[in-house]
Amino acid sequence: MNLAAVFLFVGCVILTFAPAVRFHTWQVEYRWQQWVGFVVWLFGFSFVYRQANRFLPDRDPYLLPIISLMVGWGLLTIFRLDPVFGYRQTIWLSICLAGFIIGLRIPGLLSILRRYKYIWLTLGLLLTLFTFFYGTYPGGKGPNLWLGCCGIYLQPSEFLKFLLIIYLAAYLADSLPSKFRLIRLLTPTLLVAGSALLILIAQRDLGTAFLFIALYAVVIYLASGKRRVLLFSFITVLCALIAGYLIFDVIQLRIEAWLNPWLDPNGRSFQIVQSIISVANGGIFGRGIGLGSPGVIPIAHSDFIFPSIVEETGLFGAVALVILYAFFTIRGFSVSLHAPNQFQRFLAAGITAFIITQSILIMGGTIRLLPLTGVTLPFISYGGSSLVTSFFSAMLLMIISNQAEDQPAVIYQSKPYLFIGTVFLAGLVTIVVLTTWWIVVRADGLLARNDNPRRFISDQYVQRGKILDRNNKILAETLGEPGNYTRVLHYPPLSAVVGYSNSNYGQGGLEASMDAVLRGVQGNSLFTIFSTRLLAAQYPVGLDIRLSLDLQLQQIADSLMQTKKGGLVLLNAETGEVLVMSTAPSFDSNSLQTNWETWKASDDSPLLNRVTQGQYPPGAATGGLVLAQMLARATLPVSIPSANWSVSQNESDYCAVFPGANPTWEKLISSGCTAALTMINKSIQPTEMFSFYQQIGFFDQPDIPVESVELVTQKFVETYNSLFTGGSDLLVSPLQVAVAAASLSNGGMIVSPQIATAYLSPNDVWLLFPAKNAPLQLTATNSDAAAALLSSGTFPGWEILAVAKTESGKVDWYVAGTPPEWQGTPLTIVVALENSTPRAAQNIGRQVFNAAIN
Amino acid sequence: MLSIFVLLLRIFLMIVLFSFLVWTIYTLWRDLKIQSQILLTKKIPIISLYSESDPSLEKVTFSKAEVSIGRDDSCDIPLTEETISNRHARLTYRHMHWWVEDLLSTNGTYLNDERVETPTILITGDELRIGKTILVIDIQPVE
Repeated sequence: MNLAAVFLFVGCVILTFAPAVRFHTWQVEYRWQQWVGFVVWLFGFSFVYRQANRFLPDRDPYLLPIISLMVGWGLLTIFRLDPVFGYRQTIWLSICLAGFIIGLRIPGLLSILRRYKYIWLTLGLLLTLFTFFYGTYPGGKGPNLWLGCCGIYLQPSEFLKFLLIIYLAAYLADSLPSKFRLIRLLTPTLLVAGSALLILIAQRDLGTAFLFIALYAVVIYLASGKRRVLLFSFITVLCALIAGYLIFDVIQLRIEAWLNPWLDPNGRSFQIVQSIISVANGGIFGRGIGLGSPGVIPIAHSDFIFPSIVEETGLFGAVALVILYAFFTIRGFSVSLHAPNQFQRFLAAGITAFIITQSILIMGGTIRLLPLTGVTLPFISYGGSSLVTSFFSAMLLMIISNQAEDQPAVIYQSKPYLFIGTVFLAGLVTIVVLTTWWIVVRADGLLARNDNPRRFISDQYVQRGKILDRNNKILAETLGEPGNYTRVLHYPPLSAVVGYSNSNYGQGGLEASMDAVLRGVQGNSLFTIFSTRLLAAQYPVGLDIRLSLDLQLQQIADSLMQTKKGGLVLLNAETGEVLVMSTAPSFDSNSLQTNWETWKASDDSPLLNRVTQGQYPPGAATGGLVLAQMLARATLPVSIPSANWSVSQNESDYCAVFPGANPTWEKLISSGCTAALTMINKSIQPTEMFSFYQQIGFFDQPDIPVESVELVTQKFVETYNSLFTGGSDLLVSPLQVAVAAASLSNGGMIVSPQIATAYLSPNDVWLLFPAKNAPLQLTATNSDAAAALLSSGTFPGWEILAVAKTESGKVDWYVAGTPPEWQGTPLTIVVALENSTPRAAQNIGRQVFNAAIN
Repeated sequence: MLSIFVLLLRIFLMIVLFSFLVWTIYTLWRDLKIQSQILLTKKIPIISLYSESDPSLEKVTFSKAEVSIGRDDSCDIPLTEETISNRHARLTYRHMHWWVEDLLSTNGTYLNDERVETPTILITGDELRIGKTILVIDIQPVE
């Protein structure tokens, strides 16, 4: 008893300081509300304890301490979840305690209950019946199970359960003198089945209906010792479940959510999924009272109080709670066995069965052991009717246990009591085992789920790492006060690349792929991660990452691309570093709240990163690579095709730009003349071309931490002839073209692109992310010669213009790069514009390219 | 700093919670031990049964707390009459008395010619009629 008081006192102290731990500062509003509940609890229970000593000196000494601990723990949890409910529960607790003291003074309470059993039952049934007509739901919309007036709501079905036990106990004690006959059970069976059915049909209250049948079965079984009663009830419940599943949506929903919660985690099985995540988040030690986030589960203070407790006190708390219920079971049945007469024996057993069945139902429901049923956790959950019923039951149990002279009534069979007791204890053990499984085995997977809001809750209290450009200019950072942190992207046109980290819309771009580093769970020492998780239930302060992007060049590119539709990427051809990645139209990750739906529905798909997710036919943009391959074989035809080159797309001798009179091979290729390329191509087998395209990475997505799409290319060989006009089913992203084209500026080496280059380690040293793939040397390709041939004129490098047909029009390519003899950093640029002109692409590309090399 | 303080409190909280549970288990166990010791020290008054009508039945004496009577061989007092049920009646010692209790027998158990409906206390000289057999009770008081 005293230990229970110490436990609650410490719990209250922890809750008081919890906000300070969350905010990492002393200047916070401490939580004092729960002390009101504590004081009421302390004085109430000490008074009850003294009264009980006076009136019930020989009662079972364990029941009151167990109950006081459970009630106090529940009260503390409710205060932690919502002080408003906490105050209400405190009022209910005072009512219950007062009722307890009055109840102790009524002499012969048990015989009154026994004698007027029909009156009580009728009253209970009438009240329940009233809910069909006058039922309301205190929280607004929901099942109409309450009777309410003047701000006080009662749930008659709670009382009905209890009255039913009294009735059954009294009836069986009166009508079972020595021999048991099934015919005698007709009346109670009809009554119970009728009321259960009524509740099931009219109120869709699966839990209560099940409880009715279970209680009935247990009490009859204890009285008769016939196992077939249990079997029969089990079959009845199963049939009712199947019938309910077929007829009622609510029951169907519950069962489906139980069998397969992962199908619809944001809709129908939202509660159960959140509940399991909450349990998993608790871990072995718990997140600490006031430090977890159990509030994200709907109705956490009532039905889902068990996961709330587990989240904040961990597996230890769960085990302790279950042990408390196990004690209650053992003591309850022992009281029942020692009862002086049959009525009291059945009553005690019924009460114990009622409390424990309900606990197992709801605890099992919240951890997906059983279908979810909307019953409360006795003594712990918020709810006046539930608390009153539990308290009254406990009081009767204590009165029954108060036997001055130890003289139990004759027992006909003791086996049923042992059997039922074992079943209950086994149920409780199963709950512990399953909870352990969620916490130990499944926790990592569950916590990493996108619908776990705890990561974003943690983000509001802990700094997330900054995202910097190659010159350490801040692109994205976390601003604001602890508890109110928001993520700001300083340069919005990069939204599609840098992405977003938003509690409502999840994460995208680099914010999503680099989340582990930005959140500090990668890069920090394991000890730091463990201790912050343990101490404050948060993630460590995030680490900054540096990108290869050059903000200055990026700005130039973005301003040029602004009015266009397409993507632009500038690569360092030697290292694969992405210097510029521009996509248009773009969005602004700072204003997702206001524009998300518009952007999502827009035909221009601004959320798309066209550089990595754009899917365009490469067409003649690969001309340089084809030329390099031909030069390696030295099979370039000597005679240059003379044709009437045209810039009209319907002509067969089409060129992206006019190659001039008497053009050379290289001129034809850099002008994107498809007929010339097709002619060259005739000397290359489709399978050879296929393996070449495979080498340059057209069939794999570049390994880059930004969203990209799955590639599908099946009819490469069949559509080979239209490869350069855009009729082929080969679709690539601008980044893939850039990676391939970079080999022309890099002596035939294929490098893998990279955008995130380094992170700032906790000891303030920039550490490089490890390189993913070693550069790959292209075989049978003369890149240098091809690049040299293509480099001509005023432009300081090689360039290719091309146009390819797409489903919705055409795509204009501009591919350029530094020549082989280039002394500075080798660069490659790719511009892809949808339905523009090749010259426009060339214009944009040249400006960015010139800015980059100067 | 504060978070470490709260962590210590949290550990303390769990220690208190589990000491509550351990306390409960310990007292439960202690109760059980004391009770069993009390039961051990309690001496059972020796009960003897003999038949006046049928001298062939020898006087039987028991020092245990439960004696069963019936047609079955496993009974402490086997009686071979057809009107006696397999497990007919039981004598038990509890609450400082010997009790007789009818085990739902077909023809009933009679104590001093009254049918035994509920468990009844026995004293020395009582006559127990089972079938046609009449057994006289003799209880020796504990010294």
